[in-house]
Amino acid sequence: MDALTLELLNGLSLFATLAIVALGLGIVFGLMGIINLAHGEFVMIGAYVAYVTHANGLSHWLSLPLAAVVLFVLGACIEVGLIRRIHRRPEVTILATFGLSICLRQAVELIFTKDFRGVPNPVPGATRAFGVLFPTYRYVLIGIAVVVVVVTLLAFTRSRFGLTVRAIVADRDLADASGVRTGIAYFCAFGIGAATAGIAGALVAPLGAIEPQAGLAYLPGAFLVVIVGGFNRLWGVIAGALVVAAVQTGVIHFYDAVWAQIAALALAVLMLQLRRVPVEGATA
Amino acid sequence: MRFEAHGLRSGYGSVPVLHGVSFCVSEGEIVALVGRNGAGKTTLVKTMIGLLRATGGQLRLDGADITRVPPSRRVRAGMRAAFQERSLFSQLSVGDNLRLSGHTVAEHGRVLATFGESLAGREAQRAGTLSGGEQKMLAAASALASTAPILLMDEPTEGLQPSNVELLGDALAAARQEGRGVLLVEQHLALALRLADRFIVLEKGEIVDAGAAGETGLANRLSGRLAL
Repeated sequence: MDALTLELLNGLSLFATLAIVALGLGIVFGLMGIINLAHGEFVMIGAYVAYVTHANGLSHWLSLPLAAVVLFVLGACIEVGLIRRIHRRPEVTILATFGLSICLRQAVELIFTKDFRGVPNPVPGATRAFGVLFPTYRYVLIGIAVVVVVVTLLAFTRSRFGLTVRAIVADRDLADASGVRTGIAYFCAFGIGAATAGIAGALVAPLGAIEPQAGLAYLPGAFLVVIVGGFNRLWGVIAGALVVAAVQTGVIHFYDAVWAQIAALALAVLMLQLRRVPVEGATA
Repeated sequence: MRFEAHGLRSGYGSVPVLHGVSFCVSEGEIVALVGRNGAGKTTLVKTMIGLLRATGGQLRLDGADITRVPPSRRVRAGMRAAFQERSLFSQLSVGDNLRLSGHTVAEHGRVLATFGESLAGREAQRAGTLSGGEQKMLAAASALASTAPILLMDEPTEGLQPSNVELLGDALAAARQEGRGVLLVEQHLALALRLADRFIVLEKGEIVDAGAAGETGLANRLSGRLAL
């Protein structure tokens, strides 16, 4: 019974991590139809913001809003300087964001070298709940991830800004002709997508090593979550993260992590076949 | 406010459609733009609002050059269009469509009442599930209820039942009374003759005839041009 509870808590932690990492990609890829292969690097840079915050003797919790601000500015600059000019051509976007991901990794390497960095756990120890001991920081991570995901989802589904983004995604020309400032809305949406990735990076920073290649590990999982959850609806990120986390946790329990990855990939392929949705996303 | 086109040229890619069109729409008048299918009427409306780039000539709004101004800024400067096709966000609700057009929630009831009971109380319905005629009514009502001084109405009566055509005519006449300028693209010649102060006939991307309401033989001339 305790083993099952522990697996459930591990699954919940994985779900929260997947959801917050994939949230930004859900906005950029799922809603806006922009295939951003540099999303993992946004997460990695968020982790480095946590490292720099710690290195300067500041609280880890300060790194969360700092990472959001840094990544919002970076994302907005990338949207204006790069994405805006190419987003209607998916094949060019793939190449450009792939190149961008390399540039970001190299830039981080130039600044911080290849050395592994770390951030101490701000809430060390474990908490006994439901009859098992589970790392306290993971409870905190789950709580913060839920808050960030829910606030972002509400912003995109209940606010005027969210309505504007949905209108642009549905028909950019008509939105333009309705007086919507499409450029500003896209700029903000891309920035928010990057900001949530930054928060995710800062949040997971105490759980592992921080190094320039770290973002590569997050990209496939984020894409799987968005594909499984469905395009064009941000709530799908929650469903996608839940399903992928459940499948991976279950397969890891009975087999191993390699089979868990294979199972998640097979699930994504199956969902694409069932929906017959082209991979370029919502705008297709 | 006054809208002017001087020697306007436009088209799709390398295919030219408009070949130097010049006309104006002033406040407090309805200008009817008539022409056969393929004459370039919709191309003209799309170029006026900025969805198509002008390849030559100049567009002016109250004297200011807006030829290279993006559509959203033209709308904020005082122009509003109701398109012949794709005039609504079909995946969004009726209410959301109105919000995007700048109408507050408190105004929705008034906007939807433009066509009597047809659209009343349907804010929550998805716009794409409205009938073709209802979608035209919603797009026209939204444009008419805006405060834009210059309205571009691209075949707003297409698919409307006669009673709603009458209501639309009344709403357009009221817009003129309020001092707004309307470019009415219309195949429904009877409505155009009833409402318009001036007429422009477009043929193969060029203005081939123009006239003012009340001119002797105008109706016959327009009918001949349209080969009705």
